[in-house]
Amino acid sequence: MSDFWSWFIIVIVVINLLGCAGLLLWNNSISAEEAAKETTGHSFDGIVERNSPLPRWWLGLFIGTLVFACVYLVLYPGLGKFDGVLGWTSSGQYDSEVALVERQTGPLFEQYAQVPIEELIRYPEALAVGGRLFANNCAICHGSDARGAKGYPNLTDDAWLYGGSPEQIVTSITAGRQGAMPPMAAAIGNTDEAVRDMAIYVQSLSRPDVANKGDNAAAIERAKPRFMMCAACHGPDGSGNQMLGAPNLTDNSWLYGPRLEDIEYGIKHGRSGHMPAHESLLSKERIHVIAAYVYNLSHRADADNTTTP
Amino acid sequence: MSNAHEVVEKNVGLMIVLTLIAVSFGGLAEIVPLFWQKATTEPLETLEPYSALEMEGRDIYIREGCHVCHTQMVRPLRAETERFGPYSVAGEDVWEHPFLWGSKRTGPDLAHVGIRPITEQWHREHLRDPRQVVPESNMPAYPWLETTPVDWSHTERKLRLFKNTFGVPYTDEGIAEQVERFTNGEWSEATEEDALVAYLLSLGRERKEVTQ
Repeated sequence: MSDFWSWFIIVIVVINLLGCAGLLLWNNSISAEEAAKETTGHSFDGIVERNSPLPRWWLGLFIGTLVFACVYLVLYPGLGKFDGVLGWTSSGQYDSEVALVERQTGPLFEQYAQVPIEELIRYPEALAVGGRLFANNCAICHGSDARGAKGYPNLTDDAWLYGGSPEQIVTSITAGRQGAMPPMAAAIGNTDEAVRDMAIYVQSLSRPDVANKGDNAAAIERAKPRFMMCAACHGPDGSGNQMLGAPNLTDNSWLYGPRLEDIEYGIKHGRSGHMPAHESLLSKERIHVIAAYVYNLSHRADADNTTTP
Repeated sequence: MSNAHEVVEKNVGLMIVLTLIAVSFGGLAEIVPLFWQKATTEPLETLEPYSALEMEGRDIYIREGCHVCHTQMVRPLRAETERFGPYSVAGEDVWEHPFLWGSKRTGPDLAHVGIRPITEQWHREHLRDPRQVVPESNMPAYPWLETTPVDWSHTERKLRLFKNTFGVPYTDEGIAEQVERFTNGEWSEATEEDALVAYLLSLGRERKEVTQ
């Protein structure tokens, strides 16, 4: 702030305070003679107006606000460039607020970081912390109950695109994941019928009774050899590949839905799920606790079978 | 002297003038100096002007009333920065005309939503049907954006207005290039959803380094 604007503000503030004080004194200086006149001479419907000074209690409050203003302007920034003797700033207050919480929670996260994730799921307090962090950072896609939505994996079951070990979960959160299924229609015959056949075959991998319906058995026979094209990622038996994030097609867990339409859409247009990286947003220790919360969601039985330390 | 207040009380015109003078002190001390402060008049070094697509997205944001329920002002409080990203500073909004700070948070603050870990696909699904991805949400759905093409008829004028009137550093070549992109280029068939999502993803990009 330039000196000009600093003084501009100071002058206005000081004139205001002095003006208010002057007005008060003036109001209070009504002469005994004037006050003794009893009325100003105004009379409306028999109601007369007196020319009395302000009531004492009101005057006291008014003086109190002036004193408060002066004390405030000494302690806090307000008079132009003067920072106030406390040196308060809103960013400073924010920084100290963050530092305080860091001091309070830092040792706790430090302590949790020492505990392996398989162990940490037996610490109810750590899971409560992890649950809050999950709600704030993960629930927007995976849902507040972590059951996901179409295109957003359910984290409470045993189906894992990139693996469900603690290390794999930490990697998923830290570095993110990019799923990339290319459009496959051209590779498997390039006709609507070929796509439909393949969708029926894929559906039958986890739902054997599909083969018994209508002409499905024939469709499956037609599609089977062409599944070679899919096997590069999904494996010859369709059991998937966690290195690539290729889903297991045999577990009846459906990221984009189990209907033939959903499967056909995936074959025709491909799918590209994207899990953003969180390493710039969350500390390692926090990711550790979130990973424990996520790991716990599909290992609740393990946690319950042991006593809480 | 002691009854001089009678002069003010009996002259309404004089009373109005004196009232205006008294009221103006606050604005003179608190608002007027801001027009000459670097912190409020100089854009952040990382600030980029909106692309034509983002500019149209911003106007759709205004048209649909997003600012009625979503603020774009993260206050310097830990509870807010944990949820919404780094707190807002004045230099982010120098090129905002009008600014969209808002005053009512029914939904979350969006000032820096573009640097939150949210994917483009999520924004699209969420706009078409918020409850598809957030079952608890009470946000209205905006499914028509997906099928409505962007109306580009005023875009070039808007960019020129921001350049000439508001001093946003667009260049004539830059505007010509933007116009080319929406007349013949990749935006010629863009939908309103494309525009709004592009705008949302642009929010906060000037503060990306703060989170790293």
